[in-house]
Amino acid sequence: MPETNTAVETTPAPAPVVAEDELVEESLVEEVSIDGMCGVY
Amino acid sequence: MTTAVAFDVDAPWQKARSVALRPEPFGALVYHFGNRKLSFLKSKQLVAVVEALGDHPSAAATLTACGVTDAQRGAYAKALADLARSQMIERREIP
Repeated sequence: MPETNTAVETTPAPAPVVAEDELVEESLVEEVSIDGMCGVY
Repeated sequence: MTTAVAFDVDAPWQKARSVALRPEPFGALVYHFGNRKLSFLKSKQLVAVVEALGDHPSAAATLTACGVTDAQRGAYAKALADLARSQMIERREIP
């Protein structure tokens, strides 16, 4: 009886996706330039 | 590229005397009458922090008193550093 070679292929599990919250963190302060605006104060 | 700003969170701070703060639905507008800078504070909790800075011994104590969590602390310290750089808040001298 021929020997059967059952190769089991295993594929590595995909790496967990790391949330990159820090890249989309919104700043709490937004600076606005009003130089050149007329009628402001 | 961002420029690092030295901001001592353990020092006493206050809203600058030349600054007016106007509450808005999104947070507040702050205007500096000396350097004519205008900034948006985009969180009502940050507005509370800025207004309370003068009542606490340090910025860190103010953050705690205003309920800023450990997870939020970095973002709030950066926001205060931005406000210090634009002179919206200033170091408070302790007599």
